[in-house]
Amino acid sequence: MPGRSRLNSPRSAGQSVELPATPTTEPEWVLVEENTVLTREHELESLFAIGNGYVGSRGSLAEGSPLSAPATFVAGVFETAPGSVPGLATIPDWSHLSMAVEGHPVRLEAGTNLEHRRILDLRQGILWREWRYQDAAGRVSRVRGLRLASMADRHLLIQSVTLSPENYSGSVSVNAVLPEPTTWRAAGTIIAVAAAQHIEGPASPSTEFPVLVAGPLALDVELGKTYRLDRLVAIHTSRDTDQPVAVAREHAERVQETDVATLIEQHRQAWLDRWQACDIRIDGDPAAQRALRFAAYHLLSAANPEDERVSIGARALTGSAYKGHVFWDTEIFMLPFFTLTYPEAARALLMYRFHTLPAARAKAAHLGYRGALYAWESADTGEDVTPPFVIAPDGEVVRIRAGALEQHISADIAYGVWSYWRATSDERFLLDAGAEILIETARFWASRAQPEEDGRYHIRGVIGPDEYHECVDDNAYTNGMARWNLETGDAVTRLVAGRWPEQWRALVGRLALDPDEPGRWLALARDLYTGFDERTGLFEQFQGYFDLEDIDLATFEPRSAPMDVLLGRERIQRSKVIKQPDVVMLFYLLWDCFPPEVRAANFRYYEPRCGHGSSLSPAIHALIAARLGDGTLAQRYFRQAMEIDLADNMGNAAGGIHAAALGGLWQAAVFGFAGLSLTDAGPEPHPNLPLHWRVLSLRLQWQGQQHDITLPAQGSPAELRTKEAKR
Amino acid sequence: MSEPIIIVPLDGSEHALAVLPVAKALSEIGGATLHILHVAEGKSPPLALLERMGLAPADVRRSAVHARIGNPAAAILDAARETNARLIVMCTHTAPAREAQTLGGTAFAVLKGAPCPVVLVHPEHRLGTWHLHRLLLPHDGTPVTSAALRPAAELALRAGAELVVLHVAAAGAAAPAEQGSVTPPYYLDQPQHEWPAWASEFIERLACVCSLSGLRVSLVLGRGSPAAEIVRVAAERSTDLIILAWRGKWAGKHAATLKAVVREASCPTMVVRV
Repeated sequence: MPGRSRLNSPRSAGQSVELPATPTTEPEWVLVEENTVLTREHELESLFAIGNGYVGSRGSLAEGSPLSAPATFVAGVFETAPGSVPGLATIPDWSHLSMAVEGHPVRLEAGTNLEHRRILDLRQGILWREWRYQDAAGRVSRVRGLRLASMADRHLLIQSVTLSPENYSGSVSVNAVLPEPTTWRAAGTIIAVAAAQHIEGPASPSTEFPVLVAGPLALDVELGKTYRLDRLVAIHTSRDTDQPVAVAREHAERVQETDVATLIEQHRQAWLDRWQACDIRIDGDPAAQRALRFAAYHLLSAANPEDERVSIGARALTGSAYKGHVFWDTEIFMLPFFTLTYPEAARALLMYRFHTLPAARAKAAHLGYRGALYAWESADTGEDVTPPFVIAPDGEVVRIRAGALEQHISADIAYGVWSYWRATSDERFLLDAGAEILIETARFWASRAQPEEDGRYHIRGVIGPDEYHECVDDNAYTNGMARWNLETGDAVTRLVAGRWPEQWRALVGRLALDPDEPGRWLALARDLYTGFDERTGLFEQFQGYFDLEDIDLATFEPRSAPMDVLLGRERIQRSKVIKQPDVVMLFYLLWDCFPPEVRAANFRYYEPRCGHGSSLSPAIHALIAARLGDGTLAQRYFRQAMEIDLADNMGNAAGGIHAAALGGLWQAAVFGFAGLSLTDAGPEPHPNLPLHWRVLSLRLQWQGQQHDITLPAQGSPAELRTKEAKR
Repeated sequence: MSEPIIIVPLDGSEHALAVLPVAKALSEIGGATLHILHVAEGKSPPLALLERMGLAPADVRRSAVHARIGNPAAAILDAARETNARLIVMCTHTAPAREAQTLGGTAFAVLKGAPCPVVLVHPEHRLGTWHLHRLLLPHDGTPVTSAALRPAAELALRAGAELVVLHVAAAGAAAPAEQGSVTPPYYLDQPQHEWPAWASEFIERLACVCSLSGLRVSLVLGRGSPAAEIVRVAAERSTDLIILAWRGKWAGKHAATLKAVVREASCPTMVVRV
């Protein structure tokens, strides 16, 4: 669907046409892949994905390959295949571009690749490509390209590709047409894509540039000259507008009025603004530096502060694994990054949970409870879309019980709400949304916990973060977070009633809140079973855990498979092996609620029994180990967390990057190695830096203030500078 | 010679005859001609040759019988090279096996030098008839092993057989260093999503090496000792032929899985040098 061609004055002879931007050169800002291994293509497409929170696009080869899986996703647009659960809809490849030189296709697997590299420019949010290709006839072409999802205009995707014939003149055919149709329907949503594309070239007797690209075309090219295709693609959906087709077309036409270099500069500047707000600098560990920037890049690429009705799925907008479903991953693992560096985005993520509160209420009611029980997996509506079973590769049909039993998510979301409130004092959010979430989740726990003959309240038949053990009673994490949720529910009622009595009355009326409810929550919280053993100082992860078989995990190393595969589901359920931090996770979130000796004792007990079957696990272990002063262990886990996506030996990232693991890595650096405590007086660092980290510096926002924190090598004092945060 | 050839060495022992049902079936599947090869110290007239190999004239319909003089292994390898043989089908041993010995001397020498895949038939298999309904391809997730896929896929397609790909998750084995390798998902965050994604990725990487179009392919994950799992799954799934990729090393602890499978599996094994 072409727009008008933009008429530039013809270039004078000798004037070169190059890409309208240049890549970042500092190695700690780029991820580089040299000499493609095609069997790794799915992983690379995920790692090199571009996005802006509205749209995300895998870093696929423009011309395709036998293993290419190009996909573009628009946040919040789901479709449901028959017999399946909703999944993010995939838009066909907007960046497809194939060329042939004198009839010979220019493809990685077809000729000789004299040079080939892809570069993910984290600082500028641009995917670059540099390629020197020799065909069977010996013709050498130099191809360079860039691709981006504009951070300055979230509906805009830009691609620019140059071709330079190094040792030939001749005919090049270009196929740069968007696959038909350019309007798609995904469930009830219309997605419209409009493109404007043209080719620039040096002045030539046979061709007047720019050439509008409206279909496949053949171009006469000359040795030593460079030709450039610019493609501007606008995407709109019926979620944004009633007229997505017209709006997309108009948008594509309008952006043509602006020079491509200017559009890219606007995008680039938007990225620089984001990095100014969130970059962590490490002096002394280039790998860790790059890994943290990689983490921040993908988190920023997934967030859209302008859309309150989407969240960030487990693989963000980088792949179709996990179908774009949203888990507790968002609030516990990703949200802290946004809360402290990009609060507008954090707010939007929490508003998604407010808008899906009706579904959470419905789920609670369906199970016979009050208040709000959030979906374990949600898509656009907040209804639970957890698949009910899976056929494992050993042929076993595995029933998936998390959808029904993994209920700690309600408390996790409440925790995210309260953390955001503490960080921002966003009154509007608290009054319009946050308080309601806190109250309704507290209500859920008040109905979920049951009094028993021992005088305690118990929560039976749940799954905690450790998913190796299902349908357990009094999971320490669930009970601990439920207790916190009940207490915070009470606290927020007193806060709102005290400071905003008029809004309080409205809230009471809307929620039919009984005046005695908050008091009952407090009493219940006080009497909720904890699993703490005074004698040992340990929390029993769930009732009966201490009676299970102890297995020495070290005897299984080295390994490349998870423990539940090696042991089998039945044996692991009878053992003390845990999938990920559970009790330890509780300590992280409620650090100050436990004395130091209890934190240390429980970490020492549970850490050796953790099989790290979840990508969420290593970063949290790094964080806690750092806070407990075990630098060696912290660094080992930090490296493990860094490698989840970036190491290339397990095919981990084929279906998308691990967004929660990336958020966890950021937290490990900030709350682990920097040891930040967030107090009412502001952030206080208690650093435990690795010895080879000469300096760690970071910036975050807290209570409307921008805090710049520089932590030099051990023994030197920290520097803290504070100023008013930009709005 | 342009017609596909399968070399079948027979030394006249009853053990060696165990290969015939397999060789005949493979020749029919592949449209190949069997070259039945006997290596002796001297030449014999054709009927005497047949008698020495324990064959009747009817046994060699649609085959060609050849005699060579000299070292058996060298002669077999020469024949395979000269005919550009597609396969060699032979017995693991014809003399009584020494304890823990996997292959007899001739079979081992042929395996080491073969220019094509070698199908090894254990004399104790005692296959009256043999049909190819199901192949088992153990795969360690590395691109190198995928090279064994091509002959397996070709056979499966021609025979209309099912191809079962088996990956064994084993403790004590680090992730392979080879780029492009795929292992079981080390992080099984949510199995309802990880398993389908992993299975799809595994198969797609195989298909990148060799088209699986038209094939019935299933992927199975085992756990524990690779050899034991291969033998177990082969038995449970009534496998007719196991395809094993072999990197050419035999001494000491090398090829431990190959040795164990050849000794213990209840069906023939095709060894593909990668």
